[in-house]
Amino acid sequence: MLQTLDAWSSALVAGLIAALMVLVNLLPNSISDAFQYAFMQRALLTSMMVGAICGMLSCYVVLKRWSLLGDAISHAVLPGVAIAYLLGLPFFIGAFVTGALTSLGIGAIERHTRIKSDAAMGIMFTGAFALGIVLISKIASSTHLMHILFGNVLGVQQSALLLTLVASLVAILVVWLAFRPLMLYAFDPTQAQALGFNTGVIHYGLILLLTLTIVASLETVGIILVVAMLITPGATAHLLTDRFKTMLLISIGVGIGSAVIGLWLSFAFDVASGGTIVLVATSCFFMALLFSPKHGVLMRFWRHRKLGNAN
Amino acid sequence: MSLPLTQSAAAIEVKGVYAAYQRQPVLEDIHLSLPAGRWTAIVGPNGAGKSTLFHVLTGSMRPLRGHVNAFGQAIEHHRKAGRIAYMAQREAIEWDFPISVWETVMSARYGHMRQDAWWRRLLPVRWHEPRHRQAVEKALDDVNMLAFADRPIGALSGGQKKRVLLARALAQEASILLLDEPLAGVDPPSEQLILEVLKREREAGRTIVMVTHDMPGARRYVDHVVLINRFIRGEGTPDEMLSDSKLAELAVSAIEQSAHDVTLAGNPALASK
Repeated sequence: MLQTLDAWSSALVAGLIAALMVLVNLLPNSISDAFQYAFMQRALLTSMMVGAICGMLSCYVVLKRWSLLGDAISHAVLPGVAIAYLLGLPFFIGAFVTGALTSLGIGAIERHTRIKSDAAMGIMFTGAFALGIVLISKIASSTHLMHILFGNVLGVQQSALLLTLVASLVAILVVWLAFRPLMLYAFDPTQAQALGFNTGVIHYGLILLLTLTIVASLETVGIILVVAMLITPGATAHLLTDRFKTMLLISIGVGIGSAVIGLWLSFAFDVASGGTIVLVATSCFFMALLFSPKHGVLMRFWRHRKLGNAN
Repeated sequence: MSLPLTQSAAAIEVKGVYAAYQRQPVLEDIHLSLPAGRWTAIVGPNGAGKSTLFHVLTGSMRPLRGHVNAFGQAIEHHRKAGRIAYMAQREAIEWDFPISVWETVMSARYGHMRQDAWWRRLLPVRWHEPRHRQAVEKALDDVNMLAFADRPIGALSGGQKKRVLLARALAQEASILLLDEPLAGVDPPSEQLILEVLKREREAGRTIVMVTHDMPGARRYVDHVVLINRFIRGEGTPDEMLSDSKLAELAVSAIEQSAHDVTLAGNPALASK
Protein backbone atom coordinates (compact mmCIF):
# COMPACT_ATOMS: atom_id res chain seq x y z
CA MET A 1 0.00 0.00 0.00
CA LEU A 2 2.64 2.50 1.11
CA GLN A 3 4.95 1.28 -1.61
CA THR A 4 2.42 1.83 -4.35
CA LEU A 5 1.79 5.32 -2.94
CA ASP A 6 5.50 5.93 -3.04
CA ALA A 7 5.76 4.68 -6.61
CA TRP A 8 2.81 6.80 -7.67
CA SER A 9 4.21 9.94 -6.08
CA SER A 10 7.63 9.41 -7.64
CA ALA A 11 5.97 8.98 -11.02
CA LEU A 12 3.92 12.15 -10.45
CA VAL A 13 7.00 14.19 -9.55
CA ALA A 14 8.91 12.75 -12.51
CA GLY A 15 6.01 13.66 -14.79
CA LEU A 16 5.80 17.21 -13.46
CA ILE A 17 9.53 17.68 -13.85
CA ALA A 18 9.41 16.31 -17.40
CA ALA A 19 6.61 18.75 -18.28
CA LEU A 20 8.54 21.60 -16.73
CA MET A 21 11.69 20.65 -18.65
CA VAL A 22 9.81 20.87 -21.94
CA LEU A 23 9.23 24.55 -21.14
CA VAL A 24 12.74 25.11 -19.81
CA ASN A 25 14.29 23.63 -22.94
CA LEU A 26 12.52 26.26 -25.02
CA LEU A 27 14.81 28.82 -23.39
CA PRO A 28 18.27 29.61 -24.80
CA ASN A 29 20.92 27.04 -23.88
CA SER A 30 22.87 29.48 -21.75
CA ILE A 31 19.91 29.55 -19.37
CA SER A 32 18.53 26.03 -19.70
CA ASP A 33 21.94 24.42 -19.15
CA ALA A 34 21.67 25.12 -15.44
CA PHE A 35 18.57 22.96 -15.25
CA GLN A 36 20.08 19.81 -16.72
CA TYR A 37 21.04 18.62 -13.24
CA ALA A 38 18.43 16.53 -11.39
CA PHE A 39 18.89 18.55 -8.18
CA MET A 40 18.25 21.79 -10.09
CA GLN A 41 15.10 20.34 -11.62
CA ARG A 42 13.77 19.35 -8.21
CA ALA A 43 14.75 22.75 -6.86
CA LEU A 44 12.98 24.47 -9.74
CA LEU A 45 9.73 22.56 -9.20
CA THR A 46 9.76 23.08 -5.44
CA SER A 47 10.56 26.76 -5.55
CA MET A 48 7.94 27.42 -8.24
CA MET A 49 5.27 25.80 -6.09
CA VAL A 50 6.45 27.72 -3.04
CA GLY A 51 6.47 30.93 -5.06
CA ALA A 52 2.92 30.27 -6.23
CA ILE A 53 1.34 29.56 -2.84
CA CYS A 54 3.33 32.21 -1.01
CA GLY A 55 2.28 34.69 -3.70
CA MET A 56 -1.34 33.65 -3.35
CA LEU A 57 -1.39 33.88 0.45
CA SER A 58 0.59 37.12 0.46
CA CYS A 59 -2.43 38.96 -0.99
CA TYR A 60 -4.41 38.12 2.14
CA VAL A 61 -1.43 38.83 4.37
CA VAL A 62 -0.91 42.28 2.87
CA LEU A 63 -4.59 43.27 2.74
CA LYS A 64 -5.33 42.00 6.24
CA ARG A 65 -2.16 43.63 7.64
CA TRP A 66 -0.91 40.28 8.83
CA SER A 67 2.76 40.80 7.93
CA LEU A 68 3.83 40.55 11.55
CA LEU A 69 1.62 37.50 12.06
CA GLY A 70 3.31 35.78 9.12
CA ASP A 71 6.65 36.64 10.69
CA ALA A 72 5.46 35.26 14.02
CA ILE A 73 4.18 31.96 12.66
CA SER A 74 7.28 31.35 10.58
CA HIS A 75 9.55 31.79 13.60
CA ALA A 76 7.26 29.69 15.78
CA VAL A 77 7.75 26.77 13.41
CA LEU A 78 11.34 26.23 14.59
CA PRO A 79 10.73 24.50 17.96
CA GLY A 80 8.26 22.21 16.21
CA VAL A 81 10.97 21.06 13.82
CA ALA A 82 13.28 20.30 16.75
CA ILE A 83 10.63 18.48 18.78
CA ALA A 84 9.57 16.43 15.79
CA TYR A 85 13.21 15.46 15.29
CA LEU A 86 13.46 14.38 18.94
CA LEU A 87 10.29 12.30 18.69
CA GLY A 88 11.23 10.83 15.33
CA LEU A 89 8.22 12.35 13.58
CA PRO A 90 8.21 13.99 10.14
CA PHE A 91 9.36 17.58 10.69
CA PHE A 92 6.30 19.17 9.09
CA ILE A 93 3.95 17.74 11.71
CA GLY A 94 5.86 19.39 14.53
CA ALA A 95 6.26 22.60 12.54
CA PHE A 96 2.56 22.77 11.82
CA VAL A 97 1.58 22.12 15.44
CA THR A 98 3.83 24.77 17.03
CA GLY A 99 3.02 27.28 14.29
CA ALA A 100 -0.70 26.83 14.82
CA LEU A 101 -0.41 26.81 18.63
CA THR A 102 1.53 30.06 18.59
CA SER A 103 -1.04 31.81 16.44
CA LEU A 104 -3.81 30.60 18.76
CA GLY A 105 -1.76 31.79 21.75
CA ILE A 106 -1.39 35.23 20.18
CA GLY A 107 -5.13 35.41 19.62
CA ALA A 108 -5.85 34.36 23.20
CA ILE A 109 -3.48 36.93 24.74
CA GLU A 110 -4.89 39.63 22.52
CA ARG A 111 -8.48 38.84 23.42
CA HIS A 112 -8.23 38.16 27.12
CA THR A 113 -5.61 40.61 28.34
CA ARG A 114 -4.81 44.28 27.83
CA ILE A 115 -1.67 43.41 25.83
CA LYS A 116 -2.00 44.65 22.25
CA SER A 117 -1.59 42.34 19.29
CA ASP A 118 1.84 43.49 18.11
CA ALA A 119 3.31 42.97 21.58
CA ALA A 120 1.55 39.60 21.89
CA MET A 121 3.07 38.51 18.58
CA GLY A 122 6.52 39.78 19.49
CA ILE A 123 6.50 37.91 22.79
CA MET A 124 5.16 34.65 21.45
CA PHE A 125 7.30 34.37 18.35
CA THR A 126 10.60 35.37 19.92
CA GLY A 127 9.88 32.97 22.78
CA ALA A 128 9.09 30.10 20.44
CA PHE A 129 12.07 30.92 18.25
CA ALA A 130 14.41 30.98 21.24
CA LEU A 131 13.10 27.60 22.36
CA GLY A 132 13.76 26.28 18.87
CA ILE A 133 17.35 27.59 18.84
CA VAL A 134 18.06 26.08 22.26
CA LEU A 135 16.62 22.68 21.28
CA ILE A 136 18.40 22.58 17.95
CA SER A 137 21.75 23.63 19.43
CA LYS A 138 21.48 20.52 21.63
CA ILE A 139 20.51 18.01 18.98
CA ALA A 140 21.78 19.05 15.57
CA SER A 141 24.70 20.68 13.83
CA SER A 142 24.73 24.36 12.97
CA THR A 143 24.58 23.47 9.25
CA HIS A 144 21.21 21.90 9.93
CA LEU A 145 20.03 25.04 11.72
CA MET A 146 21.24 27.20 8.84
CA HIS A 147 19.26 25.05 6.41
CA ILE A 148 16.06 25.47 8.39
CA LEU A 149 16.61 29.19 8.84
CA PHE A 150 17.67 30.02 5.31
CA GLY A 151 16.51 27.11 3.23
CA ASN A 152 18.34 24.46 1.27
CA VAL A 153 16.46 24.22 -1.98
CA LEU A 154 19.34 22.63 -3.88
CA GLY A 155 19.32 19.68 -1.49
CA VAL A 156 15.55 19.27 -1.39
CA GLN A 157 14.43 15.73 -0.56
CA GLN A 158 11.70 13.80 -2.34
CA SER A 159 9.57 13.85 0.83
CA ALA A 160 9.83 17.64 1.14
CA LEU A 161 8.97 18.05 -2.52
CA LEU A 162 5.85 15.94 -2.07
CA LEU A 163 4.88 17.89 1.04
CA THR A 164 5.17 21.13 -0.91
CA LEU A 165 3.08 19.63 -3.70
CA VAL A 166 0.30 18.49 -1.37
CA ALA A 167 0.34 21.78 0.55
CA SER A 168 0.12 23.73 -2.70
CA LEU A 169 -2.84 21.69 -3.90
CA VAL A 170 -4.64 22.08 -0.57
CA ALA A 171 -3.99 25.84 -0.46
CA ILE A 172 -5.13 26.41 -4.05
CA LEU A 173 -8.23 24.26 -3.55
CA VAL A 174 -9.22 26.08 -0.36
CA VAL A 175 -8.73 29.52 -1.90
CA TRP A 176 -10.73 28.48 -4.95
CA LEU A 177 -13.63 26.93 -3.01
CA ALA A 178 -13.78 29.69 -0.42
CA PHE A 179 -12.81 32.53 -2.73
CA ARG A 180 -15.78 34.78 -1.99
CA PRO A 181 -15.96 34.31 1.79
CA LEU A 182 -12.19 34.83 2.04
CA MET A 183 -12.28 37.99 -0.04
CA LEU A 184 -15.25 39.37 1.87
CA TYR A 185 -13.56 38.56 5.17
CA ALA A 186 -10.40 40.36 4.07
CA PHE A 187 -12.37 43.34 2.79
CA ASP A 188 -15.08 43.79 5.40
CA PRO A 189 -15.32 41.21 8.21
CA THR A 190 -18.37 42.89 9.73
CA GLN A 191 -20.28 42.47 6.48
CA ALA A 192 -19.20 38.82 6.32
CA GLN A 193 -20.58 38.38 9.82
CA ALA A 194 -23.80 40.18 8.97
CA LEU A 195 -24.29 37.90 5.96
CA GLY A 196 -24.15 34.89 8.26
CA PHE A 197 -20.66 33.64 7.40
CA ASN A 198 -18.80 32.04 10.28
CA THR A 199 -15.96 34.54 10.56
CA GLY A 200 -14.26 32.55 13.31
CA VAL A 201 -13.88 29.59 10.98
CA ILE A 202 -12.67 31.85 8.15
CA HIS A 203 -10.18 33.61 10.43
CA TYR A 204 -8.59 30.47 11.84
CA GLY A 205 -8.84 28.70 8.50
CA LEU A 206 -6.80 31.46 6.91
CA ILE A 207 -4.24 31.27 9.72
CA LEU A 208 -3.96 27.49 9.29
CA LEU A 209 -3.51 27.98 5.56
CA LEU A 210 -0.75 30.49 6.29
CA THR A 211 0.93 28.02 8.63
CA LEU A 212 0.67 25.29 6.01
CA THR A 213 2.28 27.56 3.42
CA ILE A 214 5.11 28.45 5.76
CA VAL A 215 5.77 24.80 6.59
CA ALA A 216 5.77 23.93 2.91
CA SER A 217 8.30 26.71 2.21
CA LEU A 218 10.67 25.68 4.97
CA GLU A 219 13.05 23.74 2.73
CA THR A 220 13.12 26.25 -0.06
CA VAL A 221 13.62 29.74 1.31
CA GLY A 222 13.82 28.90 5.01
CA ILE A 223 11.76 30.34 7.82
CA ILE A 224 13.43 33.73 7.92
CA LEU A 225 13.04 34.52 4.24
CA VAL A 226 9.57 33.00 3.82
CA VAL A 227 8.28 36.13 5.52
CA ALA A 228 9.50 38.12 2.52
CA MET A 229 7.74 35.77 0.11
CA LEU A 230 4.54 36.17 2.15
CA ILE A 231 4.59 39.96 1.91
CA THR A 232 6.53 41.20 -1.11
CA PRO A 233 4.57 39.58 -4.01
CA GLY A 234 1.24 40.75 -2.55
CA ALA A 235 2.54 44.25 -1.90
CA THR A 236 3.94 44.41 -5.46
CA ALA A 237 0.60 43.31 -6.92
CA HIS A 238 -1.31 45.78 -4.73
CA LEU A 239 0.64 48.60 -6.39
CA LEU A 240 -0.25 47.35 -9.86
CA THR A 241 -4.00 46.73 -9.83
CA ASP A 242 -7.36 47.68 -8.35
CA ARG A 243 -8.95 44.24 -8.81
CA PHE A 244 -8.59 41.48 -6.27
CA LYS A 245 -8.49 38.65 -8.80
CA THR A 246 -5.85 40.41 -10.88
CA MET A 247 -3.91 41.07 -7.71
CA LEU A 248 -3.96 37.34 -6.90
CA LEU A 249 -2.72 36.47 -10.39
CA ILE A 250 0.02 39.11 -10.45
CA SER A 251 1.12 38.11 -6.98
CA ILE A 252 1.32 34.43 -7.92
CA GLY A 253 3.24 35.47 -11.06
CA VAL A 254 5.72 37.52 -9.04
CA GLY A 255 6.15 34.60 -6.63
CA ILE A 256 6.82 32.06 -9.38
CA GLY A 257 8.89 34.48 -11.44
CA SER A 258 11.19 35.42 -8.58
CA ALA A 259 11.58 31.75 -7.67
CA VAL A 260 12.68 30.82 -11.19
CA ILE A 261 14.89 33.83 -11.83
CA GLY A 262 16.34 33.75 -8.32
CA LEU A 263 17.16 30.08 -8.58
CA TRP A 264 18.92 30.56 -11.90
CA LEU A 265 20.88 33.59 -10.67
CA SER A 266 21.96 31.75 -7.54
CA PHE A 267 23.26 28.92 -9.72
CA ALA A 268 24.96 31.21 -12.19
CA PHE A 269 26.70 33.30 -9.53
CA ASP A 270 27.06 30.53 -6.97
CA VAL A 271 25.29 32.38 -4.15
CA ALA A 272 22.60 31.37 -1.60
CA SER A 273 19.42 30.51 -3.46
CA GLY A 274 16.87 31.45 -0.74
CA GLY A 275 18.33 34.92 -0.44
CA THR A 276 18.55 35.41 -4.21
CA ILE A 277 14.90 34.45 -4.68
CA VAL A 278 13.88 37.03 -2.08
CA LEU A 279 16.12 39.69 -3.65
CA VAL A 280 14.47 39.18 -7.04
CA ALA A 281 11.04 39.59 -5.42
CA THR A 282 12.26 42.73 -3.66
CA SER A 283 13.50 44.13 -6.98
CA CYS A 284 10.07 43.46 -8.48
CA PHE A 285 8.54 45.44 -5.64
CA PHE A 286 10.79 48.44 -6.19
CA MET A 287 10.17 48.34 -9.94
CA ALA A 288 6.42 48.41 -9.26
CA LEU A 289 6.88 51.16 -6.70
CA LEU A 290 8.64 53.31 -9.28
CA PHE A 291 6.88 52.43 -12.51
CA SER A 292 3.33 51.32 -11.61
CA PRO A 293 0.99 53.22 -13.96
CA LYS A 294 -1.53 54.01 -11.24
CA HIS A 295 0.16 53.90 -7.87
CA GLY A 296 3.81 54.32 -8.85
CA VAL A 297 6.00 57.11 -7.52
CA LEU A 298 7.14 58.34 -10.95
CA MET A 299 3.63 58.53 -12.37
CA ARG A 300 2.40 60.35 -9.32
CA PHE A 301 5.28 62.79 -9.61
CA TRP A 302 4.50 63.22 -13.32
CA ARG A 303 0.80 63.87 -12.65
CA HIS A 304 1.61 66.40 -9.95
CA ARG A 305 3.95 68.25 -12.29
CA LYS A 306 1.34 68.29 -15.02
CA LEU A 307 -1.21 69.66 -12.59
CA GLY A 308 1.34 72.22 -11.43
CA ASN A 309 2.00 73.35 -15.00
CA ALA A 310 -1.70 73.65 -15.72
CA ASN A 311 -2.14 76.08 -12.87
CA MET B 1 -37.63 38.68 -2.29
CA SER B 2 -37.31 37.06 1.08
CA LEU B 3 -39.99 39.07 2.86
CA PRO B 4 -41.52 36.93 5.58
CA LEU B 5 -45.04 35.61 5.21
CA THR B 6 -46.08 36.18 8.79
CA GLN B 7 -46.16 39.84 9.70
CA SER B 8 -47.67 39.25 13.13
CA ALA B 9 -44.44 39.07 15.16
CA ALA B 10 -42.32 42.22 15.42
CA ALA B 11 -39.57 42.54 12.83
CA ILE B 12 -37.06 43.18 15.58
CA GLU B 13 -37.61 42.38 19.23
CA VAL B 14 -34.80 43.30 21.62
CA LYS B 15 -35.35 41.79 25.06
CA GLY B 16 -33.36 42.95 28.07
CA VAL B 17 -30.03 43.39 26.32
CA TYR B 18 -26.94 44.33 28.32
CA ALA B 19 -23.60 44.88 26.61
CA ALA B 20 -20.18 46.04 27.79
CA TYR B 21 -16.70 46.80 26.48
CA GLN B 22 -13.93 45.77 28.86
CA ARG B 23 -16.36 45.71 31.80
CA GLN B 24 -17.53 49.24 31.00
CA PRO B 25 -21.31 48.97 30.51
CA VAL B 26 -22.46 50.40 27.21
CA LEU B 27 -26.03 49.18 26.99
CA GLU B 28 -28.29 48.34 29.92
CA ASP B 29 -31.72 46.80 29.94
CA ILE B 30 -32.58 47.59 26.32
CA HIS B 31 -36.10 46.59 25.31
CA LEU B 32 -37.37 47.42 21.84
CA SER B 33 -40.16 46.13 19.69
CA LEU B 34 -40.11 47.35 16.10
CA PRO B 35 -43.00 46.22 13.90
CA ALA B 36 -42.35 45.18 10.31
CA GLY B 37 -42.40 47.97 7.75
CA ARG B 38 -41.51 50.70 10.20
CA TRP B 39 -38.71 53.21 9.72
CA THR B 40 -36.98 53.85 13.03
CA ALA B 41 -34.27 56.36 13.83
CA ILE B 42 -31.96 55.72 16.76
CA VAL B 43 -30.80 59.04 18.21
CA GLY B 44 -28.29 59.58 20.97
CA PRO B 45 -25.07 61.40 21.86
CA ASN B 46 -21.64 60.04 20.94
CA GLY B 47 -20.74 56.98 22.96
CA ALA B 48 -24.38 56.30 23.78
CA GLY B 49 -24.16 52.71 22.57
CA LYS B 50 -25.90 53.10 19.22
CA SER B 51 -23.21 51.33 17.22
CA THR B 52 -22.93 48.71 19.96
CA LEU B 53 -26.63 48.02 19.59
CA PHE B 54 -26.01 47.47 15.87
CA HIS B 55 -23.09 45.15 16.63
CA VAL B 56 -25.45 43.10 18.76
CA LEU B 57 -28.03 43.08 15.96
CA THR B 58 -25.51 42.02 13.31
CA GLY B 59 -24.00 39.34 15.53
CA SER B 60 -20.48 40.78 15.65
CA MET B 61 -20.97 41.25 19.41
CA ARG B 62 -22.63 38.92 21.85
CA PRO B 63 -24.71 40.66 24.54
CA LEU B 64 -23.88 39.91 28.18
CA ARG B 65 -27.54 39.28 28.84
CA GLY B 66 -30.78 39.32 26.90
CA HIS B 67 -31.47 38.32 23.35
CA VAL B 68 -32.77 39.56 20.02
CA ASN B 69 -35.53 38.03 17.91
CA ALA B 70 -36.56 38.80 14.37
CA PHE B 71 -40.02 37.83 13.18
CA GLY B 72 -40.45 35.65 16.26
CA GLN B 73 -37.24 33.64 15.79
CA ALA B 74 -33.64 34.04 16.96
CA ILE B 75 -32.01 36.71 14.81
CA GLU B 76 -29.08 34.39 13.87
CA HIS B 77 -31.50 32.33 11.85
CA HIS B 78 -32.45 35.33 9.72
CA ARG B 79 -28.90 36.51 9.41
CA LYS B 80 -27.92 33.15 7.92
CA ALA B 81 -30.85 33.40 5.50
CA GLY B 82 -29.62 36.82 4.35
CA ARG B 83 -32.67 38.70 5.59
CA ILE B 84 -30.70 41.31 7.50
CA ALA B 85 -28.65 43.89 5.63
CA TYR B 86 -26.13 46.07 7.41
CA MET B 87 -24.60 49.32 6.26
CA ALA B 88 -21.43 50.12 8.18
CA GLN B 89 -20.04 53.56 8.87
CA ARG B 90 -17.62 54.71 6.21
CA GLU B 91 -14.65 54.58 8.57
CA ALA B 92 -15.17 50.86 9.21
CA ILE B 93 -14.09 49.90 5.69
CA GLU B 94 -10.68 49.42 4.11
CA TRP B 95 -10.97 51.76 1.10
CA ASP B 96 -7.58 50.77 -0.33
CA PHE B 97 -8.86 47.27 -0.97
CA PRO B 98 -8.54 46.37 -4.68
CA ILE B 99 -12.23 45.98 -5.43
CA SER B 100 -14.59 47.72 -7.83
CA VAL B 101 -17.89 49.36 -6.99
CA TRP B 102 -19.70 46.53 -8.78
CA GLU B 103 -17.91 43.78 -6.84
CA THR B 104 -18.48 45.63 -3.57
CA VAL B 105 -22.23 45.68 -4.14
CA MET B 106 -22.17 42.11 -5.45
CA SER B 107 -20.67 40.98 -2.14
CA ALA B 108 -24.12 41.54 -0.63
CA ARG B 109 -25.27 38.55 -2.68
CA TYR B 110 -22.62 36.15 -1.36
CA GLY B 111 -25.00 34.96 1.34
CA HIS B 112 -27.75 34.17 -1.19
CA MET B 113 -25.26 32.43 -3.49
CA ARG B 114 -24.96 29.67 -0.90
CA GLN B 115 -28.45 28.61 -2.00
CA ASP B 116 -27.38 28.28 -5.66
CA ALA B 117 -26.48 24.99 -7.33
CA TRP B 118 -23.12 23.77 -6.01
CA TRP B 119 -21.34 23.86 -9.37
CA ARG B 120 -22.23 27.51 -9.91
CA ARG B 121 -20.54 28.40 -6.66
CA LEU B 122 -17.19 27.27 -8.08
CA LEU B 123 -17.47 29.65 -11.00
CA PRO B 124 -16.93 33.39 -11.34
CA VAL B 125 -19.94 35.55 -10.57
CA ARG B 126 -20.83 36.17 -14.20
CA TRP B 127 -21.85 32.51 -14.54
CA HIS B 128 -24.20 32.80 -11.60
CA GLU B 129 -27.96 33.12 -11.69
CA PRO B 130 -28.96 36.39 -13.36
CA ARG B 131 -31.01 37.45 -10.33
CA HIS B 132 -27.81 38.39 -8.50
CA ARG B 133 -26.65 40.60 -11.33
CA GLN B 134 -30.08 42.18 -11.67
CA ALA B 135 -30.23 42.98 -7.95
CA VAL B 136 -26.81 44.66 -8.09
CA GLU B 137 -27.70 46.63 -11.18
CA LYS B 138 -30.98 47.82 -9.69
CA ALA B 139 -29.37 48.80 -6.40
CA LEU B 140 -26.63 50.79 -8.14
CA ASP B 141 -29.22 52.44 -10.35
CA ASP B 142 -31.35 53.35 -7.32
CA VAL B 143 -28.50 55.31 -5.77
CA ASN B 144 -27.39 56.78 -9.12
CA MET B 145 -24.04 55.01 -9.10
CA LEU B 146 -24.42 52.64 -12.05
CA ALA B 147 -22.08 54.77 -14.15
CA PHE B 148 -19.35 54.22 -11.55
CA ALA B 149 -19.69 50.42 -11.46
CA ASP B 150 -16.16 49.76 -12.77
CA ARG B 151 -14.37 52.31 -10.60
CA PRO B 152 -12.20 51.14 -7.74
CA ILE B 153 -13.99 52.03 -4.51
CA GLY B 154 -11.01 54.01 -3.23
CA ALA B 155 -11.45 56.55 -6.05
CA LEU B 156 -14.89 57.74 -4.90
CA SER B 157 -15.85 60.87 -2.99
CA GLY B 158 -17.36 60.68 0.50
CA GLY B 159 -20.98 60.94 -0.62
CA GLN B 160 -20.42 58.39 -3.39
CA LYS B 161 -18.89 55.95 -0.92
CA LYS B 162 -21.98 56.24 1.26
CA ARG B 163 -24.22 55.62 -1.74
CA VAL B 164 -22.25 52.51 -2.68
CA LEU B 165 -22.54 51.18 0.87
CA LEU B 166 -26.28 51.84 0.71
CA ALA B 167 -26.48 50.08 -2.65
CA ARG B 168 -24.75 47.11 -1.10
CA ALA B 169 -27.35 46.96 1.66
CA LEU B 170 -30.17 47.28 -0.92
CA ALA B 171 -28.78 44.62 -3.25
CA GLN B 172 -29.19 42.06 -0.50
CA GLU B 173 -32.99 42.45 -0.83
CA ALA B 174 -33.25 41.90 2.89
CA SER B 175 -36.37 42.40 4.99
CA ILE B 176 -34.48 44.38 7.62
CA LEU B 177 -32.06 47.21 6.84
CA LEU B 178 -29.68 48.26 9.62
CA LEU B 179 -27.97 51.51 8.68
CA ASP B 180 -25.23 53.00 10.85
CA GLU B 181 -25.22 56.75 10.17
CA PRO B 182 -26.19 56.60 6.49
CA LEU B 183 -26.37 60.40 6.38
CA ALA B 184 -23.14 61.37 8.15
CA GLY B 185 -20.67 63.38 6.09
CA VAL B 186 -22.89 63.40 3.02
CA ASP B 187 -23.54 66.41 0.77
CA PRO B 188 -27.16 67.70 0.67
CA PRO B 189 -28.08 66.20 -2.76
CA SER B 190 -26.79 62.76 -1.69
CA GLU B 191 -28.68 63.09 1.59
CA GLN B 192 -31.91 63.83 -0.22
CA LEU B 193 -31.33 60.91 -2.58
CA ILE B 194 -30.57 58.47 0.24
CA LEU B 195 -33.69 59.51 2.18
CA GLU B 196 -35.89 59.13 -0.91
CA VAL B 197 -34.44 55.69 -1.67
CA LEU B 198 -35.09 54.58 1.89
CA LYS B 199 -38.63 55.91 1.72
CA ARG B 200 -39.30 53.71 -1.31
CA GLU B 201 -37.79 50.72 0.45
CA ARG B 202 -40.03 51.31 3.45
CA GLU B 203 -43.04 51.51 1.16
CA ALA B 204 -41.97 48.15 -0.31
CA GLY B 205 -42.44 46.70 3.16
CA ARG B 206 -38.90 46.65 4.49
CA THR B 207 -38.10 47.43 8.09
CA ILE B 208 -35.46 50.14 8.45
CA VAL B 209 -33.46 50.98 11.53
CA MET B 210 -30.92 53.77 11.24
CA VAL B 211 -28.60 55.61 13.56
CA THR B 212 -28.60 59.30 12.75
CA HIS B 213 -27.58 62.74 13.95
CA ASP B 214 -29.57 64.39 11.18
CA MET B 215 -32.59 65.76 13.06
CA PRO B 216 -34.28 67.63 10.16
CA GLY B 217 -34.00 64.58 7.90
CA ALA B 218 -35.30 62.27 10.60
CA ARG B 219 -38.18 64.62 11.42
CA ARG B 220 -39.36 64.66 7.81
CA TYR B 221 -39.01 60.99 6.96
CA VAL B 222 -38.98 58.47 9.80
CA ASP B 223 -42.00 56.89 11.53
CA HIS B 224 -40.51 56.30 14.91
CA VAL B 225 -37.66 57.65 17.03
CA VAL B 226 -35.79 55.88 19.84
CA LEU B 227 -33.67 58.04 22.12
CA ILE B 228 -30.82 56.10 23.61
CA ASN B 229 -27.98 56.73 26.01
CA ARG B 230 -26.91 53.49 27.62
CA PHE B 231 -30.61 53.07 28.58
CA ILE B 232 -33.60 53.75 26.36
CA ARG B 233 -34.42 57.40 27.13
CA GLY B 234 -37.64 57.68 25.20
CA GLU B 235 -39.59 56.32 22.28
CA GLY B 236 -42.29 57.80 20.10
CA THR B 237 -43.13 59.81 17.01
CA PRO B 238 -40.49 62.16 15.57
CA ASP B 239 -42.47 65.20 16.67
CA GLU B 240 -42.61 64.05 20.28
CA MET B 241 -39.07 62.77 20.56
CA LEU B 242 -37.19 65.35 18.53
CA SER B 243 -38.69 68.32 20.35
CA ASP B 244 -36.12 70.73 21.76
CA SER B 245 -36.96 69.84 25.33
CA LYS B 246 -36.57 66.10 24.74
CA LEU B 247 -33.23 66.53 22.98
CA ALA B 248 -32.00 68.85 25.73
CA GLU B 249 -32.97 66.18 28.27
CA LEU B 250 -30.96 63.62 26.30
CA ALA B 251 -27.93 65.92 26.19
CA VAL B 252 -28.15 66.48 29.96
CA SER B 253 -28.35 62.73 30.47
CA ALA B 254 -25.14 62.40 28.51
CA ILE B 255 -23.34 64.93 30.68
CA GLU B 256 -24.62 63.32 33.87
CA GLN B 257 -23.64 59.95 32.53
CA SER B 258 -20.06 60.93 31.89
CA ALA B 259 -19.82 62.76 35.23
CA HIS B 260 -21.12 59.60 36.88
CA ASP B 261 -18.58 57.45 35.03
CA VAL B 262 -15.74 59.73 36.08
CA THR B 263 -16.83 59.44 39.71
CA LEU B 264 -16.95 55.68 39.38
CA ALA B 265 -13.56 55.47 37.72
CA GLY B 266 -11.97 57.72 40.31
CA ASN B 267 -13.43 55.86 43.25
CA PRO B 268 -12.86 52.09 43.36
CA ALA B 269 -15.22 51.72 46.29
CA LEU B 270 -18.11 53.07 44.20
CA ALA B 271 -17.06 51.15 41.10
CA SER B 272 -17.23 47.81 42.87
CA LYS B 273 -20.89 48.35 43.77
